[in-house]
Amino acid sequence: MTDSTGARGRAVARTPRARRTVALTGAVGFLGRNLIGLLEDDDRIGRIVALDVEQPTTAGRKTRFYKVDLTQPTVDARMAEILAAEGVDTFLHLAFLASPTYASAWAHELESVGTMHVLNACRERPVRKFILWSQTILYGARPSNPNFLTESHKLEGNRESRFLVDKIEAEAVVQRFARQMPQTVVTVLRMAPILGPTVRNYLSRYLGRRLVPTLMGYDPLMQFLHEVDALAALKLATMSDVPGVFNIVGDGVLPLHKVIELAGRSNWPVPAPVAKPAASLLWAAQLLEAPSSWVDYLRWICVADGERARKQLEFRPAFTTREAVLDYAGAQRLRDARLLRA
Amino acid sequence: MTKKVLGSDPFTREGDDESKESEAPRPSKRPGAKSSKRPSARPSKRPSAKASAGEKQEITRAPKAAKVPAEALIDMDASSDAVAPLELTSDAASDPTAANAPIAASEPPEAPQAAPIKSSNADEDSAIDDVGAEASVSPATSEALANADAPAEASAPEPEGSIEDKIRALESQLDVLLARAGRERTPDPHDEVALVPDELPARSAQGGGTVREAQRAATDEETQDSTSDIATGEFYAKQWGRVALRDRAEDVDEFGLDEQFSATARPLIDALYTKWWRVETHGIENVPDAGRVILCANHAGAVPYDGLMLAAALRREHPARRPLRWLADDFVFHFPFMGVALNRLGAVRACQENAERLLRTSTVVGVFPEGVKGVSKSYRERYQLQRFGRGGHIKLALRTRTPIVPVAIVGSEETHPMLPTGPLAKLLNLPIVPVTPTFPWFGALGLVPLPAKWSISFLPPISVDGYDEKSADDELLVGRLNEKVRAAIQDELDARVRQRRSLFR
Repeated sequence: MTDSTGARGRAVARTPRARRTVALTGAVGFLGRNLIGLLEDDDRIGRIVALDVEQPTTAGRKTRFYKVDLTQPTVDARMAEILAAEGVDTFLHLAFLASPTYASAWAHELESVGTMHVLNACRERPVRKFILWSQTILYGARPSNPNFLTESHKLEGNRESRFLVDKIEAEAVVQRFARQMPQTVVTVLRMAPILGPTVRNYLSRYLGRRLVPTLMGYDPLMQFLHEVDALAALKLATMSDVPGVFNIVGDGVLPLHKVIELAGRSNWPVPAPVAKPAASLLWAAQLLEAPSSWVDYLRWICVADGERARKQLEFRPAFTTREAVLDYAGAQRLRDARLLRA
Repeated sequence: MTKKVLGSDPFTREGDDESKESEAPRPSKRPGAKSSKRPSARPSKRPSAKASAGEKQEITRAPKAAKVPAEALIDMDASSDAVAPLELTSDAASDPTAANAPIAASEPPEAPQAAPIKSSNADEDSAIDDVGAEASVSPATSEALANADAPAEASAPEPEGSIEDKIRALESQLDVLLARAGRERTPDPHDEVALVPDELPARSAQGGGTVREAQRAATDEETQDSTSDIATGEFYAKQWGRVALRDRAEDVDEFGLDEQFSATARPLIDALYTKWWRVETHGIENVPDAGRVILCANHAGAVPYDGLMLAAALRREHPARRPLRWLADDFVFHFPFMGVALNRLGAVRACQENAERLLRTSTVVGVFPEGVKGVSKSYRERYQLQRFGRGGHIKLALRTRTPIVPVAIVGSEETHPMLPTGPLAKLLNLPIVPVTPTFPWFGALGLVPLPAKWSISFLPPISVDGYDEKSADDELLVGRLNEKVRAAIQDELDARVRQRRSLFR
C-alpha cells in the first residue's frame, strides 16, 4: 500500500463535509482523550463516538460513549451496530498501548486481534475513512538503517518483542484492508516517540530516572514528536482525506546523551554486551520501563523521514525534537518537585 | 499564599519568600522584585561559600525552567480551544492543597524574617504611598524603587545599624510597595491578593525577635544540605555527565555531525596529518570550488583513517575549504566509541538514501567503493584495488548528475596492516576482526598507526553530463564507468608507489 496509495494521495480532494461523525477506539488513552477535547471544539464535527472500556474524562456535549472491549470475541458485530446506528464517517483506531506491558497475552488480544475486529466491523458497515495510529519504532533500530527511514522501508522491528510484533501485525492487516476496500480512505500515521509535558509513557519514565542507563560507547541519534504535534497530525488526518502511510516526526535529531543532558539527568553507561541480559533481568523484576529488546533503540539509529507528510498531508510540526525534549524537561522538573502529579 | 497565585505560576517555588510571592501576583512585576532583592539578600543570609554556590546554581537554573513550558502550559489549559491535553497541569492548578503543601514545606525558615521590619517601616510606607498609587503598575514600581532607596539610606545612618539591617529594611520596604501596587490595580473581587497586607501585622507579632536564630538555623541547614549533596553519588554522576559532554555541541546536524566535537578533535587530526603521516596532496584543484561532487578513493586499514585524512586535506589545502562528508561502511557503526566518534566527525552510514540526501545539499561526498573488502585485505594485497562494489556510487552519480573525482591515497594501506583472520571473523559474526601485527598484542599501544608517508592524489573529474538519469539502470554503462574510475585510481596508485623511495619518505 505504501507506494500505490501514496501515489493517489493527491487525487482525493479535501471534501469538507458538514458535521461529520467521528468514531475512535482507545478513547481514554492519551491521544484519544485529548483528541476528543480537540474535536469537541471543532464545528465541522457533529458527533464523536468514543469506544473504550471507560468513559473518557474529556467527553463533552458531542461525545457519545459506548463501552466496547476489543478483547471480547463478539465485539466486531457490536461495533458494526454502533457504526450503523451513529452513521460514522471517519474511524480512528487508536487502541494501542503506548508502553510495553507484562500482560503480553492481553496486549496481543487488544492490538493484533482487536485491530482485526475493528476492521471486520468496518467491512460489515463501511466507513468513508479509516485512520490508524502507528509508530516509527516499528521500523526497528539497526546499524544498517539509513539515517532517515522513508515510508517504503519495511517494518523490521525486533521479532522477539511482542510490543512491536503486535503492532506490526496490526499494520499489516490494515494495509490488506486498504487493498480490499479501495473506496475507504486509509491513512496510517507512523509517529515518532511522543514526548511532552503531560504525556506519560515508557520514554518519559526512562528519561525521568535520576540515572538514565545508556550503552557505553553508543550514542544513537534520537527523534521525538511533541504531544501537541501528535494530536495536530491526528486532527489533520481526520479533517483532510489523504490516503497513504506517513511518518509524523519532529524536525531535527539529537544524540541520546544530549537528550539526557537536556532533560537534566545523568547518563549511566552500561557495557553493551551485558546490557541485554541485565535488561531482561530488570524487566522480569519490574524495575525497567521496557523489555530487553528496547536496548536496540539505545544502540542503533531509528529515525524517520517526515518529508511525505510535509508534502502530501501538509503537516508541519510546531516543535522540533529539541523543543519537545525541553518541554518535557520543564514539566518533569515540576514532577520532581511534586508540583505536578506524576 | 493564595490559590490564584499558585495557579498562575507554578514556578514560584524558585522564589525565596512566600509572602513576597503572594504580594506580587503579576509576572510582569516579579522580575523586578527578584532582581532587586536577591543580590542584597545573599550576603546576609548565606555566609557559607558552599551554600552560596548552591544558590547561584539555583538562580541560573531558574530562568531556564521558567522559559520552557510555563506560558505554554498555563495558556493552553486556560483556553480550552487550543489543546486539551494538559489536564494534568490544570489539575495541579485547580487543586490547591496538593500544590500548596510542598511549597509551604520547602520555604519555612525564610518566611518570618521579612515580616517584623515591615511594621517598623510604616511611616516610610506612607511617605512613598503617593508614588505607588500611580496608574500603571510596572513603571510605577520601578520609580517607587528608585525613590524608596533614598529614605532608607537616610533613615539608618547611625553606625550600629549593620548592613544586614539596612538590607532587610530595604527589602521589607519593597515588599510593602509591591503589595500596595498590587492593591491599587486589583478591583477584581476574586483576587485575594488584597487581603495579604492585613495579615502582615499578625505575622510580625508572632515573629518577634527570633529572626536571627531562624536565620542561623537556616544557614546551618543549608550547609548541611550542601555537604550531604557532595556525599551522594548523584552529585558525582552529574559532574561526570557534565565532563563527558563538555566537548559536545548543543545540537548536531541531521546526519550527526557535531561541530564542537570536530573542533576539539581538530588539533589531533591536524597533528596526524602534518606530523605523523606528513600528508602531501596532488591535484587538489580537480575538486570544484562549488557544487556537489563525489570523491571516490581506495580504502584500507583496520581503523578507517582515510576518510578523516581526506576531510582534513580538503579542509586544509582546498582554496574553498570544502567540508567533506564521507560514507562509512556499516561495520564501523558496530564498534562502540569508534562509530559514534566517526559519526560526530562527519562519517555517514553508506547507503543510497543517505548519499542522495547529502548530495541534494551540494556537498562533497567521499565514497570508498571497496568497502569491507578494502579494509580486510591483507598486507600482501596492498594497493591492489578490490572489486568496486556493484557500482552503487556510479548509479548515484548518474542519478544525481554528479561528477566523480577519483582519489588515490598512498600510505594508508601500510598504517594498519591486517593479519588474515577470516575464519575468526566468521566465528564472531563480525565483518572483520582488527588483528594487526601490533593490535591487540600491545594493547592500546597497538592502535598507534605506523607513521608511513601519505600522499593523496585528486585526479581529473569524470563527468556524467553526457548521460541522462535513466542510464543509472543501464548495467553495462555502470560497469564501464566503474571500471574507468577503478583504472584511473589503480594507475595513479601504481605510479605513486613506484615513485616513493621508502615507506616513510
